[in-house]
Amino acid sequence: MGSFIQLKNFEALLPYANMFKEGLITTVLLAFFTVLLGFVLGLVLSVMRMSNIRPFLWLAHAFPGTFGFFERDKKSGLLRDSGFLYHLGRFNPLAFLATAYVEIIRSTPVLVQVMVIYFGVFSQLFELPSFKIFGFIAFNRFFPGVVALAMNSGAYLCEIIRSGLQSVEGGQTEAARSLGLSQLQNMRFIILPQAIKNILPAIANEFVTIIKESAITYTIGVQDIMAMVQAIKSASYIIMEPLLVATALYFCLCFPLSKLIAYIERRMSRGDRR
Amino acid sequence: MATGDKLIQVRDLKKYYNRGSIKALDGITVDIDRGDVMVVIGPSGSGKSTFLRSLNLLEQPTGGSIFFDGVDITKPKFPDKDGKLVKVDIDHHRQKMGMVFQHFNLFPHMTIMDNMTLAPIQVKHMNKAEAEEKALTLLDRVGLKDRAGAYPIQLSGGQKQRIAIVRALMMEPEVMLFDEPTSALDPEMVGEVLEVMKELAQEGMTMVVVTHEMGFAREVGNRVLFMADGKLLEEGTPVDIFEHPKHPRLQDFLSKVL
Repeated sequence: MGSFIQLKNFEALLPYANMFKEGLITTVLLAFFTVLLGFVLGLVLSVMRMSNIRPFLWLAHAFPGTFGFFERDKKSGLLRDSGFLYHLGRFNPLAFLATAYVEIIRSTPVLVQVMVIYFGVFSQLFELPSFKIFGFIAFNRFFPGVVALAMNSGAYLCEIIRSGLQSVEGGQTEAARSLGLSQLQNMRFIILPQAIKNILPAIANEFVTIIKESAITYTIGVQDIMAMVQAIKSASYIIMEPLLVATALYFCLCFPLSKLIAYIERRMSRGDRR
Repeated sequence: MATGDKLIQVRDLKKYYNRGSIKALDGITVDIDRGDVMVVIGPSGSGKSTFLRSLNLLEQPTGGSIFFDGVDITKPKFPDKDGKLVKVDIDHHRQKMGMVFQHFNLFPHMTIMDNMTLAPIQVKHMNKAEAEEKALTLLDRVGLKDRAGAYPIQLSGGQKQRIAIVRALMMEPEVMLFDEPTSALDPEMVGEVLEVMKELAQEGMTMVVVTHEMGFAREVGNRVLFMADGKLLEEGTPVDIFEHPKHPRLQDFLSKVL
């Protein structure tokens, strides 16, 4: 056996350069749309988790003493913090749904999620049109890939966004509201700018993770970098070198991105330093 | 100098936690007149901060009423002059109640200038140039004109608190609420903040001040409230309270702090 990695093998890959290019574009687009959709989903989920909607609270107040669970304290005349109706009254269905979703996604492998979405939802329930974006990205595979990855990263982003919003001191909201700013203005001018700064490293990390995890969508036939590697391997019988090219491509995507975000982070922390 | 013109009327204000097991405010009734400088004193945990924070509904009271300019702001709706029920807009009332916090609560991601002009521009729709001119005038008054472009982290505690005061003044409030404004300051910076508050009082601003600075209460206040265990135990002029305290709790408290 000759040396493990050979220059002539790289040269033999040159005819496949176009495939790498298409794979690269597919991966970038896949990650981009996943990030967009995932962020929106994460925002919605975090708002649901932090909401304070308790549709059954009136029941608890309307029927004190029902079932013998929820009674008035004889001494103070106030309702007790216990019993079935009390817990029903505190129940927040939106927060429950969001929490359940987050926990399910976080406790199952992304490969399973991608397969369930592609074979379960988009092959059985919805028929997607089979056209090609730019002439090489098959929409009926690309779209389920984006949806599955976004559903996955939305759950993680939800937790990141929630912790970011909660990391801003309560005094900030109090100061803003005492100046007459509405809840929405407080969110927009005071909380979000500070929260985004706090969570940017974590979000950047998640975005880089998405680029890397998107490789898994080759299992449902998305023609990304990884799928191209597989195709080139079987066409040329060269195994190691295409993988090295893929490694370089992924590195060239992720490394500058994390550096760029580190730079933005430094710029945004101006107010923290003397 | 009280004019007898009632600005804030507090009636039987209650704030309970844990469904009544903790009574932070247990039935407070008091009137605050225009021009009053009302100083609230009492041991820690007496409910004085809760009382102050309830005045602009940063704490939602459990019971009772707060009439601000004749409108009960604790209720979702209130009849106007013609007896028609209109929604109580708490954001609107909060604009007229400036608040200064123990920990300043300046916005760390904004310059001093932006801290001051944000609310006037966004809430009062003042134009930017006008707001900045007004901010510079106020900054000049507290001797911090040259710090307009600085970020809060670059300022000392005393400077931050002076900025917090003028930030609240930007909205031209009818009353200023001070929640232990000097408690988080190094001793040498307390004086500069009290000086600004004193000037404000002399200009006739209505003020409610929760503080441990008995010197300020005595010198600047025209009314002093003594609170303990969520109750208003004694009320009077500084002379009444400090020279002739009646309630044993007040006598005990003063013997410890004076």
